[in-house]
Amino acid sequence: MNVDSVNKTNLSSKKFKVFKVRNDRSLGDIIFDFFNHVFFILFSLICLFPFYYLFINTISDNNLVSSGQILWYPKGIHFDNYLALLQVHDLATATFVSVARTILGTALMVLASAFVGYLVTKQKMYGRKFIYRFIVITMYFNAGLIPWYLNMSMLGLTNNFWGYIIPGIVSPFNIILVKTYIESIPPDLEESAEIDGAGYFTIFWKIILPLSKPILATIAIFGAVGNWNSFTDSMILMSGNPSLYTLQYRLYIYLTSTSDLATLMNSGGSVSQNVINSVMNMRTMRMTVAMVTLIPILLVYPFMQRYFEKGIMIGAVKG
Amino acid sequence: MPGTNSVLVVSKNQLNKINTWMFLLRGCAILILVSTFIPALNPAMVSGLIDKNSALFTMAVSYSSLVEGFTRAINRGWVNSSTVLNIYVSSLLTFLSVAAIVAGCCMTLGKLKLQRLGIKIIIIGCGAAIISLLLLFPAYYALCGSTNLNAVQPMISYSYLIFAIFLIICAILGIANIKLLPKPSENDKYEMEAKYKLFLMALPFVILCFLFSYLPLWGWRYAFFDYTPGLGLSWNNFVGLKWFEFLFKNAASRADIIRVMTNTLAMSGIGIATSFLPMAFAICLTEIRSVKLRKSIQVVTTIPNFISWVLVYSLAFAMFSTEGFVNTVLIKLGLEKTATNFLMSGSHIWLKMWLWGTWKGLGWSAIIYIAAISGIDQQLYEAATVDGAGRFKKIWHITIPGLMPTFYVLLLLSIAGILSNGMDQYYVFRNAANQNSIEVLDLYVYLLGLGSGGTGNIPLATVVGMLKSVISITLLMAANWFSKLLRGESII
Repeated sequence: MNVDSVNKTNLSSKKFKVFKVRNDRSLGDIIFDFFNHVFFILFSLICLFPFYYLFINTISDNNLVSSGQILWYPKGIHFDNYLALLQVHDLATATFVSVARTILGTALMVLASAFVGYLVTKQKMYGRKFIYRFIVITMYFNAGLIPWYLNMSMLGLTNNFWGYIIPGIVSPFNIILVKTYIESIPPDLEESAEIDGAGYFTIFWKIILPLSKPILATIAIFGAVGNWNSFTDSMILMSGNPSLYTLQYRLYIYLTSTSDLATLMNSGGSVSQNVINSVMNMRTMRMTVAMVTLIPILLVYPFMQRYFEKGIMIGAVKG
Repeated sequence: MPGTNSVLVVSKNQLNKINTWMFLLRGCAILILVSTFIPALNPAMVSGLIDKNSALFTMAVSYSSLVEGFTRAINRGWVNSSTVLNIYVSSLLTFLSVAAIVAGCCMTLGKLKLQRLGIKIIIIGCGAAIISLLLLFPAYYALCGSTNLNAVQPMISYSYLIFAIFLIICAILGIANIKLLPKPSENDKYEMEAKYKLFLMALPFVILCFLFSYLPLWGWRYAFFDYTPGLGLSWNNFVGLKWFEFLFKNAASRADIIRVMTNTLAMSGIGIATSFLPMAFAICLTEIRSVKLRKSIQVVTTIPNFISWVLVYSLAFAMFSTEGFVNTVLIKLGLEKTATNFLMSGSHIWLKMWLWGTWKGLGWSAIIYIAAISGIDQQLYEAATVDGAGRFKKIWHITIPGLMPTFYVLLLLSIAGILSNGMDQYYVFRNAANQNSIEVLDLYVYLLGLGSGGTGNIPLATVVGMLKSVISITLLMAANWFSKLLRGESII
C-alpha cells in the first residue's frame, strides 16, 4: 500500500464520519425505519412462534392441550410426554436409522467430495477434464423418479440401508466447491511434500484435508441437514421394510394416521395402557415426536450459523 | 546401469499393434463389467422364478432377493433350497471373477511388468468366470427335474451364451496380448505412471456416478413397453409410442396433464413473480443500523429453512388444525363460531403453498443477497453521500444495480427449473380436499408410478418424467444461451 492510498482511505472515512453526524434523518427515513423494524420483528416472531408453541404444548398438561387452552405460555409443566415416547413402537429404530444414515452418509460424502475434489485439481491426471465434466454434468439432468427407482431396485438398494448412503456419495456440487477451494491453496505446499517423498494419499490426508476444514465443515453441515431431513427416499425405497424408515417418515406416518395412540404403543411395557392414555393423546404425541425430530437441528443451529453463511458465499462465488 | 531397465527394442509398428490389441482387451473387459449390471444380459437367469429385473450384480450381492422369488416353490417342494444356493454361489463367483478381470484391466495401465501381471489376471479371471458359469448347469438340471416344470420354468437364456462368448473373446485377447508384449527384463518393477494412478483413484467415483446418474437413463426404455412389475421387458410387450399417444389422445389423462401443468406453472409462476422478495428483504435488513438486532433477525429467519417439510407440516398442524392456535384465538376473539381445519380446506391452495414456501425460505434466500451487498464497493456509497444522495437514492442507484447480476442468475435458474418444484412440500400438505389443486408434476409422477402401494402405471409415469426431463434441460440450455447473450456469461 503506498502513501497515496493510505491518505485516500483516511480521508474518505473521515469524510464519511463527518457526514454521518451532520446527516439528520428526514421524516421519510424515520417512517421507513419504523416500518422496517416493525416488519422484521413481526416476521421473526412468525418464524419463531410455531416452534415455541409446539414446545409449550408438549410440556403442558395434556388435558389442557387437548381442549386448546394452551396459547401463550405452558401450564402444568411436566415431561411425561417425552418419557411416554419411549413406549412408542419403532421410534427407537427409526431414530437409530436416522442417526446412522446422517453420520455415515455425511462422513462418506464429505470424504469422497474432498478426495475427488483433490484429484481433479491434478493437472497430470489422465482424462481429467472428461472425468470432471462427466461428474459435474449430472447436476443438470436426471432420468426422473421412476427410472431412478427401478435402477435402485435393480442394484438391490431398495429395502436396504445402503440405499440411503451409496447414491449420495458422489455429490457434484460439493465436488465443485471443494475443487474451487483446493485450487486456492498454494501449490508449493504439495510440491514440497512431493519432493519429500509423500504419495497422493499422504498429501491428501496430511495436507489437503486439514487445510480445507472450513469448506469441508460447510458441506458436512449441508449434507447432515439434508440427510436428517429427507423422508421421501425412505418412503420410495424402503416401502417393503418398515424397520428402515427414518424418523422423519415415521413422523409423517403418525401425522397422517388416524389410528389411536394405543396401537402405536408397545404392549406389555412398564407403564400400563391406561396411564399412557391418560397422559397422552394423539395430538400431543404428534407434537412430541415433532419436537424430538426438531431438537437436533435447533441444538446445533447456533454453531452451524457461521458455516451456513460461509457455505452460501462460496456457492455464490461459483454461481 | 541407469536406463537399461526401460529400454526395450520395440518398433513403432509393433507398438501400434500392441496398443490396438490392448485397446480391444480393455474394451472387452469393460463390456463384461457393464453387462453384469444389465438384467437383459444376466447369464444366471436359469429360472422363470428369478426376478426379471435382477442383473448378475443384484443376484451376487443379495441372496435374500433371490430366495424371495423361490419361497413358494421351496415350500411346495418344487425346488430344493440347495439349488437356489447353488445359483447364488455360482453368480457370486462369476461376479467376483469379473471383479478380478476389472482389477487386471486396471493393472494393464501400468508399466510392462504390471501390465503383464494384469493380463494374466484377466485370463485367469475369464477362466474362473467360465467355470463359475458352468456351475449353473447342476442347478439347471435340478430345476429340470422339478415336479412342477411350468411353475419353475428352467431355462438357459441367450444372455448365458452372450456372456460366455464375451469371456472367451476376452481370454483369447488376453493370450494374444501376452504373446505380443515383450518379456520384462530383470530390473523391471511393478510400476505405474502418475497420470494413470490418479485416473484409477478417481475411477471408483466415476463408476458410482455412472451407476446412479447415467444408468437410470437406461430405464427410459420402460416408456416403450407394457410393463407389469415382476415380469420383465421383452419384445412381446413392446408397444412403441403407445404411452406417448395415450398421454395426449386419452381425454382423462389429457385433462390430468393439463390440471397438473396448470398447478405446476401457477406455483412456480407465483414463486418467480415474487423472486424479488429475497432481494428486498436483504436490502431492508441491511438498512437496520443495530448490528445485534440485524444478526438476530438473520439467525431467526433462517431457522425454518433447515427443518424438513414434514416438520413444517407438523408445525402447521399445531397452529392451524381444529384445536390449533389460530382457531382458538379466532374463537376467543369472537371472529369465528366454529373451528375450521385450515389444512383440510381446498381453497387458495396455491397461495397457501407459496406462503409456506416463503415462510420457510425467505430468510435463507436473502443471505446470498446480503453477501452480495457486503461485496459492493463502499466507496460508491461514500461518493454518493458526498454528492448528496439520500438513503433511497443510494439503494436505487447503487445497491439494486449491484445486486442485479445475482438476481438475473437466480431468476434464469428458477425459470429453467419451472417444472421442478419438488414433491416433498406438496406431498405432506396433500389431502382429499386439496388434492386437485396441489398436485405438481413431480408429485404426479410419483403418485402415477409408485403411489397406491406400488400398483402404479410405470410406463406412463416414465413417459411423463421423460418429457419433464427433456423440457427442463431444454429450458436450462435456453436460459444459459439467454444469459450468454445478455451478459456474456454462462450460468451453468
